[in-house]
Amino acid sequence: MESAWALRAQGLVKSFGRKVVDGLNLSIRPGELYALLGANGAGKTTTLRMIAGLTPPDKGGIEVFGWDVITTPLAAKAIMAWLPDEPLLYDKLSPLEYLEFIAGLWQVAPALARSRADELLDLLGLWPHRAERCEGFSRGMKQKTVLAGALIHDPKFLLLDEPFTGLDAASARLVKTLLTKHVQNGAAIIFTTHILEVAERLASRIGILCGGKLVAEGGLDELRGHTGFDSGTLEDVFLQLTAG
Amino acid sequence: MFNPPSFFWLLRHELRVLWRGSILVRTHRYVLLPTFIVAVVFQAVGLLVARLIVQHPVTENIMLLAANINLVFLFVLMFSRAMMASTDVIYARGDADFLLASPIPPNRVLAVRMLGVACSIVAPWLLLAGVLANGLAVCGSFWALAAYPMLAGEALIVAALAFALVVALVGRIGPVAARRAGHSLALFTGVGIFILGQAPRFVPQSTLAAFWTGLLPGQEGGGLAYFFARGLLGQRLPLLGSLACACLVFLFVWVFLAGPFARGTITAAGYRPSGREGVQQARFRHSASSTLLAKDRRLLVRFPGLFTQIVYRSLTLVPVIAILLGKVALGVVVTVPLLVFLAGQLGSFFISVLAVMDDMPQLIAAAPVAATAVPRAAFLASAQASLMVVALPAVAVMVRAPGLGAVLLPCLAGVLVCNLVLGRRFPIPLNRAAFGKSQTGTLLGLVLGVSVSSAWALLSWLILAPHPLAGVLELSAFS
Repeated sequence: MESAWALRAQGLVKSFGRKVVDGLNLSIRPGELYALLGANGAGKTTTLRMIAGLTPPDKGGIEVFGWDVITTPLAAKAIMAWLPDEPLLYDKLSPLEYLEFIAGLWQVAPALARSRADELLDLLGLWPHRAERCEGFSRGMKQKTVLAGALIHDPKFLLLDEPFTGLDAASARLVKTLLTKHVQNGAAIIFTTHILEVAERLASRIGILCGGKLVAEGGLDELRGHTGFDSGTLEDVFLQLTAG
Repeated sequence: MFNPPSFFWLLRHELRVLWRGSILVRTHRYVLLPTFIVAVVFQAVGLLVARLIVQHPVTENIMLLAANINLVFLFVLMFSRAMMASTDVIYARGDADFLLASPIPPNRVLAVRMLGVACSIVAPWLLLAGVLANGLAVCGSFWALAAYPMLAGEALIVAALAFALVVALVGRIGPVAARRAGHSLALFTGVGIFILGQAPRFVPQSTLAAFWTGLLPGQEGGGLAYFFARGLLGQRLPLLGSLACACLVFLFVWVFLAGPFARGTITAAGYRPSGREGVQQARFRHSASSTLLAKDRRLLVRFPGLFTQIVYRSLTLVPVIAILLGKVALGVVVTVPLLVFLAGQLGSFFISVLAVMDDMPQLIAAAPVAATAVPRAAFLASAQASLMVVALPAVAVMVRAPGLGAVLLPCLAGVLVCNLVLGRRFPIPLNRAAFGKSQTGTLLGLVLGVSVSSAWALLSWLILAPHPLAGVLELSAFS
């Protein structure tokens, strides 16, 4: 399905006793790397879970590349990859077995899946550990394994919750390059992070959530416009917008 | 049929995950050989029992009653286990969301999860029942092989009902409380079976005989109440009917849950970012030792299923109390090995809880505390917890027979020290407190813990009764 928008979320509302997401509108174009920022509890993870089709919104609609996540969830999920903030890994599987499993879920042709798995494991420095069970892995190695899993089926839309957690500098640089290449090929990415420098350098657009509402959106200059700052870092802008 | 992402491919993955997380695989390799030898011995015993059954046939009525009782017991035993397994596969293992985020039809994921639960709960019972069924088949009674499909069918019903109950409970009270409900059910089941086992001690023989006779199917064959029992005894129509019934129940629950599972409402019920606010109390301490001890005490108290696990182990106290109250005509000396065994088992359990729950040894290792302070605090907390349970009955025993203290106290200390040191190195299998973390501990830890507790109990018994057979002879003379 062709669509001018990679993501269109309108009027999203979700409550867990209190409103966690409150009337959120979000649009992302293909080729965009969108950073969703917010303080702890601002509603970032819940937003990503709703887009991934894991938490049904109380109100609102979500479309990913034209597929409605609520009415046609399987078609939407087939082109998405979701990476949660805690790496979801089977401790008792090896990285290669894990990738084989993910490729099976997304029905990637076995030969293609094998070559992609080899390539990703090699690229992310996991090749020497491909047959070891993940239970002994460090946080960074686990993160790299799940990232490989997210990329193995070449998704058009990636939802990444804190993707850089636990990565060393070299791995973080590598992942940034991988993600940038991925969007250059027409995919779109939405990611959350608390490392504002990463958002500032990597994202083509930034959205700032506060109390479940999108309080500002755009490039750094546009965000500065919301605060009245002529200059200043993203950190200054973020703190100003989320204060009080 | 077995290609990704087919049903059987997903089922194979589910079974692989369950197998690799199972107690047998997690244990040391050199325990597998003794386990295999024990299995062979069991099969040999099964063969002997089967020969006895074939040589001394009982009436069909009694066979039906025995079959029905077995089915009922298996149902309750499997149900509590299925509740905990269902909570694990939907909420604890953490991969349900991950599978739901994939383009695999959610109803396929749900069916595989439910089947996985059924397989995991029935496997140990199939192994046990198989011993007798195989033996009977070898002796020419091929009807006994019906136990295999009947138990599988029963597991389907149990898994489906437990799944439905867990989903309903989690929707109302959350996954942690639902798991607690599963633990509580297991506790009630265990205590109930224990009490039934003790019934001949407290209920007059004539009343019991009347009770069992009342349950017999009678002339008309017992009707529908004995339908499943007839299936277990290999009668073709009831067997097929029972299997059809099992499949129908499974399918009904699957269809009923498929919608909410696909919409994500079932798994989302376990995801509540705003969380309930607990009452937080903190008392800052100067000493590292007291801080470590306080941390260990908190971890112990917050272990899920703590109460049920303690009650399970403390069933040993029932005969102790019965002896102290004079309900059982045994000398108070018998309580000593019982209390020593209990203390050993509790010590093994508490130290394993700490070994399992202390997720961040590096954090403490990086702190300016002596390396010995950590195990010392764990030993102290575990010993205190064990003694809290054992202290009162031990005091009661010493009040009744002050001379026993000279054996009881050193043996209690000995079994605790041994099992605490051993349990820290080889914890027993326990579920972790935090969701998403796999079970730890090994079969080796369990075997060693029970062995050490038994050895100390035997030692105390040998000290107190230099001719232990005399006690047995006395007992048989009494009965």
